[in-house]
Amino acid sequence: MEEKNLTLPGSCTLDHDGCVVCSDAGVPVRVISVEGDDALCEDWAGNRAEIAVDLVAPVRVGEVLLAHGGVAIGRVEEVEKK
Amino acid sequence: MKYSREFRNADLARAVAAEIAAITDPKRHYKIMEVCGGHTHTIYRHGIKDLLPEQIELVHGPGCPVCVLPMGRVDDGIRIAERPEVIFTCFGDMMRVPGSKGNLIEMKAEGADIRMVYSPLDALRLARENPEREVVFFAIGFETTAPSTALTLKRAKKEGIENFSVFCNHVNIIPPVRALLESPDLRLDAFIGPGHVSTVIGCRPYEFMAADYGTPCVVAGFEPLDILQSILMIMRQLAEGRCEVENQYSRVVPWEGNLQALEAMAEVFELRPYFEWRGLGFIAQSALKISEAYSHFDAEIRYETPGVRVADPKACQCGEVLKGVLKPHQCRVFGTACTPEHPLGALMVSSEGACAAYYNFGRKTGERVGAGR
Repeated sequence: MEEKNLTLPGSCTLDHDGCVVCSDAGVPVRVISVEGDDALCEDWAGNRAEIAVDLVAPVRVGEVLLAHGGVAIGRVEEVEKK
Repeated sequence: MKYSREFRNADLARAVAAEIAAITDPKRHYKIMEVCGGHTHTIYRHGIKDLLPEQIELVHGPGCPVCVLPMGRVDDGIRIAERPEVIFTCFGDMMRVPGSKGNLIEMKAEGADIRMVYSPLDALRLARENPEREVVFFAIGFETTAPSTALTLKRAKKEGIENFSVFCNHVNIIPPVRALLESPDLRLDAFIGPGHVSTVIGCRPYEFMAADYGTPCVVAGFEPLDILQSILMIMRQLAEGRCEVENQYSRVVPWEGNLQALEAMAEVFELRPYFEWRGLGFIAQSALKISEAYSHFDAEIRYETPGVRVADPKACQCGEVLKGVLKPHQCRVFGTACTPEHPLGALMVSSEGACAAYYNFGRKTGERVGAGR
């Protein structure tokens, strides 16, 4: 099967220095590894952080989540690069 | 910025703007409210206002949790932070919001142990690491942020951590929107709905806007093309006489929201009978408190908080700006007595506040730049 050229859908990063509580600080991150209720995740810029995944469990390596304040609050569809 | 290119393509933006212009009735004035402070920020950061026909007015809504918190609650937080046994934790923007006698940064300078955290889970970690101290988290935010507080309290309960509590100021987005729709001051043609709040609550809660008030709502993402496409979707609805809730941000927002997050919130929180909003006054069932089952984590029960209502400084017109009645530059102290360096009102403090967005992106007089390009 041909591999699609996919990308994370948004530009916010884990080192976002704006207001955390504002909703635009939702960071699309890819799951690198899972350990219990936490997952090591990576944003498009290569920043990595441990994210709590209780609210989107179960998660798999490679999935893309929306992280907000250290917690995954949803799943995200990747988009195809144009 | 390789991953954001898809949503910041200038040619595509111009094409969408041209389509918006083509279906705009030149004899009509359109008032569209972006509910979320993050949208306000994107609109000014990327100059979206200048791409729109002058008939379209964007009105900035109450969707910045820092901005809508009344002074009395800041004072209550400071009162807890002053206690010697307490490590008081909060998000960065909360540190500079003025209370009636100063802000948390000033209290920290005077010796209070106040620490900035990125996540409530960081505050819980501090409680684990400092069993001899009491760690309090100043929780603010809409439904985007409330699940992280709920999750943190569930973990604290499971682990039996007793030296941790939450000063809860979480608020719900629907009640103030309903209050705005009821307001005689403001006639709105449509809403740009908050994207990440909707990740949690879904799109269904907005259906009353269309059904009861005849006001379309398009849930939108936060990239410049997301906003432009949402405005186009709204303008199409208005041109075709439709009135619906639509989801522009379907790559992130499921129509039903996140049921696991909603369940966690239902377990940990309950509705307050009423809560004061800066500029909007008291709104029934618009905020969350810690539920009975988690009441031993409630800082308002653990510590005495005065709960005094404090009026905003007389010169400050944050209330009118929050209701969309005034534009930031029309406030009498905008850019003079109130600046990001020395804010009088919360709208100038938060980086996503409407006044800070106007000030930081050079809209000090509300002028348009290169309209219609």
